[in-house]
Amino acid sequence: MLPILYVLLGLFRPTNENWQIVKQYLLTDYVLGSAKLVLFTGFFAALLGVVLAWLVVGYTFPLRRFFRWALVLPLAVPPYIAAYTYSTMTSYTGFIQSTLRNQFDIKLPPGTIEIMSSKGAIFIMTLFLFPYVFMLTRTFLERQSASYIENARLLGRSRLSLFIKVVLPLSRPAIISGVMLVVFEVFSDYGVASYFGMQTVSTAIFQTWFGMYDVDSAIRLAAWLLIVIIGLFVIERFLRRNRQFNATTSQSRPLKPQQMKGIAAWGATAFCSIIFLLAFIVPLTQIIVWTTWTYHKIWRADFIDLMVNSLSGAAIATAVIMIIALLSARTARMLSSSLAYGVSRLMTAGYAIPGAIVAIGVLAVFIALDQRLSTVYEWLGKGEGALVLSLSLSMLITGYIIRFMATGYNAIESGYEKLPRVYTEASRTLGRGNTKSFFKVELPLLKGAVITGFILTIVEIMKELPLTLLLRPFNFDTLATRTYQYAIDERIYDAALPSLLLIGISLISVLLIVRLEKEK
Amino acid sequence: MQQRRNYVFLMLTFVLVMALIAGCGAGNNNNGGANKSANGTKTTGEATAEEPETKTGGEVNIYTARHYDVDADLYAKFTEQTGIKVNVVEGKAPELIEKIKREGTSTPADLFITVDGGILNTAKTAELLQPVVSEVIDAQVPAELRDKDSHWIGLSTRARVIVYAKDRVNPSELSTYEDLATDKWKGKLMVRSSTNLYNLSLLASLISINGEKEAEAWAAGIAANLARDPEGGDRDQAKAIVAGTGDVAIMNTYYVGNLAASDVEEERKVAEQIGVFFPNQQTTGTHINISGAALIKHSKNKENAIKLIEYLTAPEAQSIISKTNFEFPVNKAAELPELLKSWGEFKSQGIDFAAYGELNPKAVEIVNKVGWK
Repeated sequence: MLPILYVLLGLFRPTNENWQIVKQYLLTDYVLGSAKLVLFTGFFAALLGVVLAWLVVGYTFPLRRFFRWALVLPLAVPPYIAAYTYSTMTSYTGFIQSTLRNQFDIKLPPGTIEIMSSKGAIFIMTLFLFPYVFMLTRTFLERQSASYIENARLLGRSRLSLFIKVVLPLSRPAIISGVMLVVFEVFSDYGVASYFGMQTVSTAIFQTWFGMYDVDSAIRLAAWLLIVIIGLFVIERFLRRNRQFNATTSQSRPLKPQQMKGIAAWGATAFCSIIFLLAFIVPLTQIIVWTTWTYHKIWRADFIDLMVNSLSGAAIATAVIMIIALLSARTARMLSSSLAYGVSRLMTAGYAIPGAIVAIGVLAVFIALDQRLSTVYEWLGKGEGALVLSLSLSMLITGYIIRFMATGYNAIESGYEKLPRVYTEASRTLGRGNTKSFFKVELPLLKGAVITGFILTIVEIMKELPLTLLLRPFNFDTLATRTYQYAIDERIYDAALPSLLLIGISLISVLLIVRLEKEK
Repeated sequence: MQQRRNYVFLMLTFVLVMALIAGCGAGNNNNGGANKSANGTKTTGEATAEEPETKTGGEVNIYTARHYDVDADLYAKFTEQTGIKVNVVEGKAPELIEKIKREGTSTPADLFITVDGGILNTAKTAELLQPVVSEVIDAQVPAELRDKDSHWIGLSTRARVIVYAKDRVNPSELSTYEDLATDKWKGKLMVRSSTNLYNLSLLASLISINGEKEAEAWAAGIAANLARDPEGGDRDQAKAIVAGTGDVAIMNTYYVGNLAASDVEEERKVAEQIGVFFPNQQTTGTHINISGAALIKHSKNKENAIKLIEYLTAPEAQSIISKTNFEFPVNKAAELPELLKSWGEFKSQGIDFAAYGELNPKAVEIVNKVGWK
């Protein structure tokens, strides 16, 4: 948490003339840009995520079981890679236009397919971020909503009214957790926004830093962004304060889906397929094709190391995150004080500010720590003024933990929200200790949430770029940094191989965990 | 139970706050300490401080913002020849500078390698660098492609040129950067976002040559002439010319080379349909930018670092850089690839690269003011 506080302290440092320039020329445009992007992406992602989750949970239709996990897969594709892929695909030299031109002699007027626009950015972000909402909502509906929904069905609610009057309000905590993740991700996004030339708070931060070399003003901007985010949390909590749906029955059994027939069923399949195609199959196929073009040139023996690095870094950080998330979500719940809530929120706020800013905070803290420990190092014979911690992998791992606490925490929290306190209380009354109650009662009930959180976090960390760039030790490359290395130089085709491997590894981890979930 | 929990929680918060205060304190000490030891090394001289370090390792540590495969290949070759291990962290230049600053005297970095004279100068003015003393390098790299105090050494250059649609534009219509801002090119010009450093350095060079007022008018003219809002990178401008969105664009030479040598047929076709024009040949010269290696002030492997720069500026490595990446070599003895040969000699602006850095804030201010996105 220290690095985040470090960023917040930026507000109290004296301002300089650059800050005036930022305020004068950039702020309004960029705030509006961010607001627009966040609102639209948040809305569409919520809509898509919830509708799909409800379809998959509430009804049976062809391929339902497949879509149940397949619609999580777009998460494996980093939005910046999706942005490069889609824009190159639709560009003049891309597959679509060149096929039309060379095979059918159709020349599209320039600007027909305009992916590099704010609409394009919303399109990309929605498609590749909606699975957050989908996943959290689906897990919740499957495990904890059966009695309400079945009762409502018995009472003869129509499909639409069931969805609006029962499903939506009921799954609100899960939806909000999911949308919050999407909103955070959009706020902190730099890759897509800068590639598409969008003006957002995030690009303003980097323009101040890279353009004016004014790290202090950049941190100040980020601190304001943090304040906005914390404000959002407060509003969200305020709106939700009196809405606690604690299950009244003790059976937490899965919801039985209703039969859907004929056109409706095929319609549902078609809808899911279109989303799945656009958000996964199309970009993946394109990347595979590009990989076959450049494979011979790009493959290096060190790709094995890159994969190991990507995977091990992410796995360690995710494990730590899940443990901390469980502990702190539980503490916050037990205490139910506003302070505890505030602290837990601050912990997750790292997700909403750009990775590079978090990185500066981490760097500052680690270097200070190394200086504090310098006598110890000297005693160990490392020489004067040696940097030990800040040259080790632990700095990067810490960075990951701070930045991605939110994905783990939100998943667990939404799981806890649906877990009536009575269980724990009953278990404790019956003489089980605090710790024992946690392991024997709460953890099994939270299993779904823990698995969800784990997937979200590990995949997210593997895709991470700015933190990795700044905090990694020497010679530590990951698939994401290798992809960046080519993409930054506009060598999209060359970036295909590392992208593909990155998506592949993310996929395997998602699938493995889905299997684990099934077996239990 | 509840109360104990509250207590534990309060304690935790307290500890965190204390740690934070300690952290800030350390931050302050840290600055003081850095200054002191910086002075210390000056007075005691380098020999005592650095000798024990150089013995320990045959290695050199690089922070680089260049991200080309050819660099990695050259480092590997260097290791093969000399036995000196090359450790690399890649990143974005301003972030790496920030990292070096914060690491202070303890920084592990020996060399900072990046593209853009302005950034190199920023590192210099931030007092992160020291002079490179090597007769070999002085002989290999002309003085105008080195920092005037030899704090950094050029590795390669690229020119920012005008490209045009061969079928719609006659090169005789083209003349200067200034001409692109006139009404003649209204709705026909394309260039990437002004947030990109290539554009900011170009603008900085024009501020230096024509003065601030004229440069601002120029930027406003460019913004007004754009065929579309800036999007994509340099290559995307070339593609948009062929697609017919606009007729002329500003882009870097090495992207033209990379398009022409692309694995993808459609990209090669694009390269065939655009022409390259070196502007301002009759007047102030074409804008070039430079990639360079800078020696870090607190380098612990200074000799190895200088050896690596010597290696990278020797004809062999220079020919490889130029051949694979279509950059112009700094060493005149290097061999040029056919494409670069075909463009012939050209006159460059010939101003001090330091100006790109010094005038960068002004350039940022101007593009924001005139609304060049």
